[in-house]
Amino acid sequence: MARSVTHFLPLILFAILAVIAAIALMMTLSGERKISELPSALVGKPVPVTELPSLIDAQAFVTIDGTRDAPYMVNFFASWCAPCRAEAPALAILAKEIDIIGIAYKDKPEDSQKFLADFGNPYSQVGMDNAGRAGLDWGVYGVPETYIISADGIVLKRHAGPIDGDNLHKIFLPFIASLKAQQEKR
Amino acid sequence: MLSPEIGNFCLILALTTSAAQIILPTLGLLRADARLSHTAEGLQVISSIAMFISFASLIYAFMVSDFSVQLVASHSHSLKPMIYKITGSWGNHEGSLLLWIVILGLFGLLFVIREERARLKTLTLIVMGGITLSFLAFSLFTSNAFARLSPAPIDGRGLNPVLQDIGLALHPPMLYLGYVGLSVAFAIAIAGLLTGQVDKNWARITRFWVALAWSALTAGIALGSWWAYYELGWGGWWFWDPVENASLMPWLAATALLHSVIVVERREQMVSWTILMAITAFSLSLVGTFIVRSGLLTSVHSFASDPARGIFILFILLGAVGLPLFLYGLRAGRLGRASDYHLFSRETGLILNNYILVVSTFIVLIGTFYPLGLELFTGAKITVGAPYFDAAFNPVMGIGILFMAIGPLLVWRRGLVVSARPAIYLSAGGVLSAIILLLVLSGISVAGIAGIALTLWLGLSIIGDLVFRLRPWQAGMGQRLRLPATQWGMWLAHFGMVIFLTGALASSLFENENIVRVQKGAKIALGAETLIFDGVEARTGPNYVTETALLRLFDKDGRLIDGLYPEKRFYPAERQSTTEAAIRTRLSGDHYAVLGDGDSDTGYTLRLYHKPLVSWIWFGAVMMACGGLIALYRRLNTASPLVEGK
Repeated sequence: MARSVTHFLPLILFAILAVIAAIALMMTLSGERKISELPSALVGKPVPVTELPSLIDAQAFVTIDGTRDAPYMVNFFASWCAPCRAEAPALAILAKEIDIIGIAYKDKPEDSQKFLADFGNPYSQVGMDNAGRAGLDWGVYGVPETYIISADGIVLKRHAGPIDGDNLHKIFLPFIASLKAQQEKR
Repeated sequence: MLSPEIGNFCLILALTTSAAQIILPTLGLLRADARLSHTAEGLQVISSIAMFISFASLIYAFMVSDFSVQLVASHSHSLKPMIYKITGSWGNHEGSLLLWIVILGLFGLLFVIREERARLKTLTLIVMGGITLSFLAFSLFTSNAFARLSPAPIDGRGLNPVLQDIGLALHPPMLYLGYVGLSVAFAIAIAGLLTGQVDKNWARITRFWVALAWSALTAGIALGSWWAYYELGWGGWWFWDPVENASLMPWLAATALLHSVIVVERREQMVSWTILMAITAFSLSLVGTFIVRSGLLTSVHSFASDPARGIFILFILLGAVGLPLFLYGLRAGRLGRASDYHLFSRETGLILNNYILVVSTFIVLIGTFYPLGLELFTGAKITVGAPYFDAAFNPVMGIGILFMAIGPLLVWRRGLVVSARPAIYLSAGGVLSAIILLLVLSGISVAGIAGIALTLWLGLSIIGDLVFRLRPWQAGMGQRLRLPATQWGMWLAHFGMVIFLTGALASSLFENENIVRVQKGAKIALGAETLIFDGVEARTGPNYVTETALLRLFDKDGRLIDGLYPEKRFYPAERQSTTEAAIRTRLSGDHYAVLGDGDSDTGYTLRLYHKPLVSWIWFGAVMMACGGLIALYRRLNTASPLVEGK
């Protein structure tokens, strides 16, 4: 009998994995599961120089590099991503504090435009990354994902997942305030 | 004409046919009605043909750029070269799923043609009908490739230059041949559990499909890695990304299966284990197919994922993995014979091989899913990368290679073959002297030396085995050359592993890298060689303009070897830029140059690498795949006395 019990071990193992996957899936669907701060190989390194066609102005390009006057934020988003909707209010608040560049990740331009019309546009510029090529360069884990970058193009912070009220007040606003303080000292 | 509606209709036809393929033969078997149970074959043929027509109509829609089809409109463009219009049809979620289904149909058809009519065949076809049904339902209900768009746009949006790449286009079909091929092995395994007759005949049938799938999977993974190497411009060839891991796991399990099924074929032992491996390998292919589509794990390679699909996927997995494992729990205890082999026999070697491969599969599985589990229980977010895999996977593989050298020298059932002793002594001697030399002479890390020693150990043992079996110094070698194809296939595949390891070790241990920001005229050292940067030139291509860096490569004596011209391309029509690494590939190693940003005032950033023997990695993989294919051709039971050891 003992022998036949061992033959059920694979099933038991699979059941455990399946339950974990099911819970994760349910939480993702309900928006409860969040992917937030991730260790990133990029932090402390120069930003991957990125040039993307602009969503707003058909003739223009959006360039992300290290030749700016002030620190700025880069936010990967997509219209098909539910958590991106959730972070719209937080981005609107942040937009008053810091320049935000949006990157529409693997999205259709008309969908991105509709998304911005529906949920507000916190971005000074929006680049289109239809193929996810820029996402590949940046090592984007999933949308939404947010980076804070210094004026000379060093990645200071990476945040994966939506910015909610909690980390807006505990992480982002204090961090931006400290950046501004540093800049004024110089 | 081959309109999208016909494609859609054929999918529905295939769906109903595969439902019938489950019901009718099952009734036939229950009522012992042979005519009814043999309908399985005809139904499989019909649904295969319907799937082919369906896929053909999708390709046709891409070829003629029918932008009223949503999928075409979002993934193709009238100006794309024809070849990329065609390959573009599976460069997206819906189309690639259809490709998966079509390959399933292809394997079903081949299975009907190749195998002899028997109860095992009918049961296998019933299981395959179940797999086909689930996938067709998934495609039709959640990811319809033929959805129309009204009004149709004037042109499509998919003119992404980066994705117009032949390596990227061929990678999915190859990989899917592997994944889907494992579904046949899986179906035969389930059928074997149901009949309870898992014997030499069962193993002979299974081994063919496993070897075929394994070869395709090997080639598919190698193609993907090669693409990442030359196209992404990172200079690496394996990143332990969840998607890459998802293809490695079924490969490891299929490798275990490929070896254990031989034990069943020869000795009718390890029977229930082999069934478990067949279920595992296919389950992991399903995970590999779905991991990028479920929204469960995200990766840089993923298709735009949709968690709603995840629920459907979870149900498919429950059916395709949970049910078989339940059946396995009920039936496995009754299969196989008691073991009767010597401790140092071929059987022991193959059991070790399987344990090591299963442990390494687990290591990859844990590394891939650990972040998810940790997040659920503690909320902490981590990514598991190369450090974990280097520390956990490599040592286990090292032990595997240690035994991989000895296993083939052992004889079935009885023990160490006497004639193999010289091969082992020779290899051990060679390895020991190499270790001493390396320790004394070089500054290579201990792990590096261990890697070199193991590679040498494996290589020498294969050559030793070959030489001492053929004994070219004795008369009558012609007779001895007539070994079974499986023997040659094994040697080739195992030697492919040696070549692969050599490339992987050399390119990481002896790599030279230099990242510089330089002005025109600068001299840059790269290992023994020197490069001179002659500035950046604007050039025009057929539909793009470039910034091309002019680099001249000199050897250590100052002789000009070659020019390297890395580019940054800009496609005005699509308003996109791409980076083209300049790669000078030689058998001895690659020179790899990437042009970064910059201008003539502040200088340009250049990333330069020299990677010795890096192309051996893919040569080795190709050798392994060829070895697997060769082994298909002769059956193991045409036993040669040499294989028996005497």
